[in-house]
Amino acid sequence: MTKQKDSGDSIKPPDDSLNNYFDDLLGGEDLLEQAFNAMDERPMPVAAGAGSARVVALPTKKNLDEKPKKPVLRAEPTSKLAPQAMATFAEPEAIQSLEQKRKLEKLLQSARTELLVDVPVATQVSTETKTQFVSDPDEIQEWDVEGLIDEVLTVGANSEVPIVAEQTQHEDIPQAGHFQIQGLEWLENGRPQWAQSRFDVLLFKVSGLTLAVPLISLGQIQPLTDELTPLFGQADWFMGFQPTAAGKIRTVNTAKFVMPERYDPHFLETAKYVMSINGVPWGLAVDSVNQPITLMPEDVKWRGDRSKRPWLAGTVKDHMCALLDIPRIGQILIEADKNFTP
Amino acid sequence: MATDAAKNKSSDDPVLQWVTFRLDGETYGINVMQVQEVLRYSEIAPVPGAPSYVLGIINLRGNVVTVIDTRHRFNLSSGEITDNTRIVIIETDRHVIGILVDSVAEVVYLRQSEMEIAPNVGNEESAKFIQGVCHKNNELLILIDLNKLLTSEEWSELEDV
Repeated sequence: MTKQKDSGDSIKPPDDSLNNYFDDLLGGEDLLEQAFNAMDERPMPVAAGAGSARVVALPTKKNLDEKPKKPVLRAEPTSKLAPQAMATFAEPEAIQSLEQKRKLEKLLQSARTELLVDVPVATQVSTETKTQFVSDPDEIQEWDVEGLIDEVLTVGANSEVPIVAEQTQHEDIPQAGHFQIQGLEWLENGRPQWAQSRFDVLLFKVSGLTLAVPLISLGQIQPLTDELTPLFGQADWFMGFQPTAAGKIRTVNTAKFVMPERYDPHFLETAKYVMSINGVPWGLAVDSVNQPITLMPEDVKWRGDRSKRPWLAGTVKDHMCALLDIPRIGQILIEADKNFTP
Repeated sequence: MATDAAKNKSSDDPVLQWVTFRLDGETYGINVMQVQEVLRYSEIAPVPGAPSYVLGIINLRGNVVTVIDTRHRFNLSSGEITDNTRIVIIETDRHVIGILVDSVAEVVYLRQSEMEIAPNVGNEESAKFIQGVCHKNNELLILIDLNKLLTSEEWSELEDV
């Protein structure tokens, strides 16, 4: 902090300042006032453009639509192709005699037929391209399909449909003994699955801190009542069961869960609502619920290293709030429950 | 035909009776089959060297019965003895003990399907005492598994008491 004041020209970008602010607030390493003072003292240049400047340039849907322009059957064999594959898909001009050309055409034809109907080939492709192809084609983040995979997809254009379908089937099969709630995945562009395009969030307050959660991950909002029943022998962040018309919500003491170092027991008196998480019987206790807002992915400073606070998706500078990764929180909660059965 | 269906339903989803008692503002339930009787509070004689969860012993018609401090066992704050305080005599695995509770409420009938598994978050050993929870009469019942109230080593300790 002192170092930043001393060097006048080493002004941190606003995004970093906000991140530091939340690090200070949630991590408990520095005083909150220091973070606020530092932000007040520093000028905030080009605030509007700062967020977009950090966005990694990635292929868009438009790029994907232009994909047919990309040469798919290369004239020159690349080093990434296996020798056998290169022979199969070699350019006809490279063949000298008519006899060889006929044989090659025959080979090509048989290869095409096999690729279109042979299931094992499709299975192999789906396995190798899993990170590139998800159930929604619009969510493709990179188009770096090269070599044999690229050529197989091009030769058997119809094979794209069974590949996606088969892959979806694999993703739907839950792994034995490990239950995962929906929306947990973060894609290669450093954003969660639910924030690939414009998304709505709900702002709420917990012990004075403004937090945001994606609406898509929320269940219902219920008032906390006297019927909230604690259970003995549980973690200190478990407030108890809140009976509602829709069932019993296992209520989390959000203040203690999110910022245990700065926990104020007064929260037990100020908490008025519980927001249930979609897909799990858990909910977050909050002080007050504000209005929902719409965010673009660029509005959020997404967290790169999420090992320290995996439930924190990022920070929203415009609203001075932390964006919670609700699916991750849900996953943490069900994994913490030794009695959980899917 | 209707009777057969009812019997099948009954066997699939048995009805159990639970004695409910209050402790630190919450309502707990124990299986009525394990409850021998409910006594008004009487003087409990402390036993030197007994485990911390043992309040002492009482004389029950000539038999010595050890009384457990249920609040201590459940990691709850200690409470005062009132006119409603009761000692519930329970029988588990051939052992007879008494548990001190704030008050005894009623006997409720619960279907097996009404019971819900309670979460177990944290590292407290006492969480294993909870068999489940159930919403009944606009309140949440916490159902206790008395067989897990004490470990086999602790039962041995009680025998020494």
